[in-house]
Amino acid sequence: MWDQVGKALNASMVRVLSQFASLLPGILALIVALLLSALIAWIMAAILRRTLTSIDFDHGVPKWGFPSLVEFSPSNSPTLLVSRSVAAAVMIIGFLIGISAFDVALTSEMVMRIFGYVPNVIAAVIVLIAGALISRFLARAVLIGAVNMNLQYAPLLSAGVRWLVVVLAVAMALEHLGIGGGIIRLAFGILFGGIVLALSLAVGLGSKDLVSRSLEREAGRRPSQSSHEPVGHL
Amino acid sequence: MASGTIAHPELEQIQRIGGADLVIGILDPGNDPGALPAAVVDVLSTLKATHRAVVLGRGFAIKPDFPNPAESKESEPSGVAFVNLAEPENANASLQGVLDSYLAVLTVSSKLAARACVVIGSELRVAHVQTVVYQLVQPLLELGFDLVMPRYDRQRTEGLLNRSILAPFSRALYGERIQNPMGPDFGLSGKLLQMLLAHRQGKSRGYDIHPVASVASAAACHGLRICESHLGARVQMPAQRTDLSSLLATVLGAAFSDTELNAPFWQRIRGSKPVPWFGEPESAPVEPGPLDVQPMIESFHLGTQNFQEIWGNVLPPTTLLELKRLARLPTAQFHMPDDLWASMVYDFALGHRLRMISRDHLLRSMTPLYRGWIASYALETENAGLREVESRLEQLSAVFEARKPYLVSRWRWPDRFNP
Repeated sequence: MWDQVGKALNASMVRVLSQFASLLPGILALIVALLLSALIAWIMAAILRRTLTSIDFDHGVPKWGFPSLVEFSPSNSPTLLVSRSVAAAVMIIGFLIGISAFDVALTSEMVMRIFGYVPNVIAAVIVLIAGALISRFLARAVLIGAVNMNLQYAPLLSAGVRWLVVVLAVAMALEHLGIGGGIIRLAFGILFGGIVLALSLAVGLGSKDLVSRSLEREAGRRPSQSSHEPVGHL
Repeated sequence: MASGTIAHPELEQIQRIGGADLVIGILDPGNDPGALPAAVVDVLSTLKATHRAVVLGRGFAIKPDFPNPAESKESEPSGVAFVNLAEPENANASLQGVLDSYLAVLTVSSKLAARACVVIGSELRVAHVQTVVYQLVQPLLELGFDLVMPRYDRQRTEGLLNRSILAPFSRALYGERIQNPMGPDFGLSGKLLQMLLAHRQGKSRGYDIHPVASVASAAACHGLRICESHLGARVQMPAQRTDLSSLLATVLGAAFSDTELNAPFWQRIRGSKPVPWFGEPESAPVEPGPLDVQPMIESFHLGTQNFQEIWGNVLPPTTLLELKRLARLPTAQFHMPDDLWASMVYDFALGHRLRMISRDHLLRSMTPLYRGWIASYALETENAGLREVESRLEQLSAVFEARKPYLVSRWRWPDRFNP
C-alpha cells in the first residue's frame, strides 16, 4: 500500500514539475519580452524627448490651443507626458506579447480580448479629449458673454456649462468602455434632468419677480432703445 | 461680388452701362430716398467737368427723364444712372450686411473701371447731400487725391472706438494722421480701388480682410495722396447699435488682420504727419449731460475679476497688476493711463496674431477694458470743451506713437516678451 502511495506521489510530483517545466520557456519569453520592450520604450522615449525638445514642444502646446495639457503633464512638461505615454504603450504591448508566448489557450484568449478592447479604449480617450476641449471652449465663451452682459453670476454659469459637457463626455466614454451600462445612462439622465429641473425651478420660483420685471421692461421699450451704450463707437 | 446685394435686373443694367467715371454708393438713404437722385445730380453738375456717374443705393425713385449713360451718345459722355441695391436680408441691418454692401459698391466700381468711387455708409439726408457728396467727390476728380477720408463734427462721447483705438493705432502704425481710418464714408481713386481689391486677394494667404479695414493702410503703404474732408455731423447706421462685444470683434478683428498683413511696411515707419483737409467744421455739436460711468466701471471690475486667465494669455503680469490696482480705485479717482491703454491695445494686436486663444474670444474679452477706458475718458473730459477734448485725444495718439517700439519689439520677438 505504501508503495502505491509513493508511486502516486511520485507521479503527481513529476506531473507538477513537468507542467512547471513546460511553463519555464513562457516565463523566460515573458521576461525577455519585458526586457526588450523596456529597452525599445527607453530608446523611443529618449528619441521623442530629444525631438520634441528641439522643436520647443513645451512652449508650443499652449500656443496651439492646449494650455490645459501643460497643467495635466508631469512637471508641467507635455514633452514628458508624450514620451512617457509612448514608453508605457510599448511596455504594455511587450507584456501582451510575452503573455501570449505561454501558448496556453486561456492566455491567448485573454490577449485577443484585450486587443479587441483597444478600439473602445481609444474611442473613449478621444471622446474624453474632445469633451475636455469643447467644455473649455464653451465655458470661456459663456464666461465672456455673461461678463460682457454684466451678469454677476458669470463664473457660475461658465462652470455649470463646463461641468455639464464634462459629465456628458465621461458618460459617453464609459458607454464606449462598456462600464456600468444601463446604470450610467440612468444616472446621467437623472443628473442632467435634475440640473435642468433645478434651473427651471430656480428661475420660475426664485426669480419670478425679476423675470416679470425684466419682461415688462422689455415690452415697454421702444425699438430704438435696444440695449446699447450711451455713447457712439464708430 | 456680394451678388446677393444686387438683384439680377440691376446687374444687367450695370453690365449695359459698360463704364463710368464715378461710382457713388449710398448705403443708407435716410427717410426720403426718393428725393436723393435730384440732389445728387445737382451736386455733380457743380463739378468743373461733366462725368458719367453711377449711383448705387436703396429706394431711389428713378425718374425717366434722367439721362442714362447706357443710352447716351458717344459725343455726350455724361449722365447719371441710378441703380437700386437689394434690401439687406436682415431688417436690422447686421454689420455683415453693411460690409457686403460696401464690397458690392467697390466691385461694381472696379467692373465699370471707375476713376473714382465714393461710398457713403452714414445715413444721407437730402439736406446733407451737397456737403457730403461734393466734399468726397471733388478732391478725387479735380484735385487728384487717391483717398478722401471723413471728418465729423462730433460730441465728446461719439466715435469712441475710433478715437480710442482705430485712429491712434492707425496713426502710430502708418504715420498718417487720419481721424476716421475706417470711414465709414470715404472716396477712393480707381488706382487705390484696384490696389484694395488686389490686397483682398491676401485672403487666399489666410487673411480675411475686408476692404473697409484696409482703405487707409493700403493708401499709406503705397504712398498715395490722402486727404480729409469735413462732412458735418454724422447720423449713425442701425448696425452700429449692435452688441458692443460683437462690434469690437468685427472691427478690431479686421484692423488687426490688416496689421498682420502690412507688418513689413509699418515696422519701418517712425512718427506721423498730418494730412491735408478740406471744408470747415459746422456749428459745434451740443454736448450731452454728464455720462453715467458707474455701469462701465462695474463692467471693468467684473472683467478684472473674471478675465485674469484669458488676459493672462496676452497681457504681461505688470499690466495685470496695474489693472487690479485700477479696479480698487474709487469711481471719482478712476483713471486709466494712456500708456497702459496703448500697451494693452498693442498686446491684443499681438495676441490676435499669435492666436493664443480663439481670436473671437480674445477680442470680445476686450469689452470691459474698453468700457473702462470710456469711463476714464468721460470722467476726465466731463467739463472739457471741444478744444480740450481734441487736445486730450491728441495726447493719447502721441502716446500710441511713443509706445510703438514696444509693439515692434514684441512683434519681432514674441517669445522674448512672452508674458
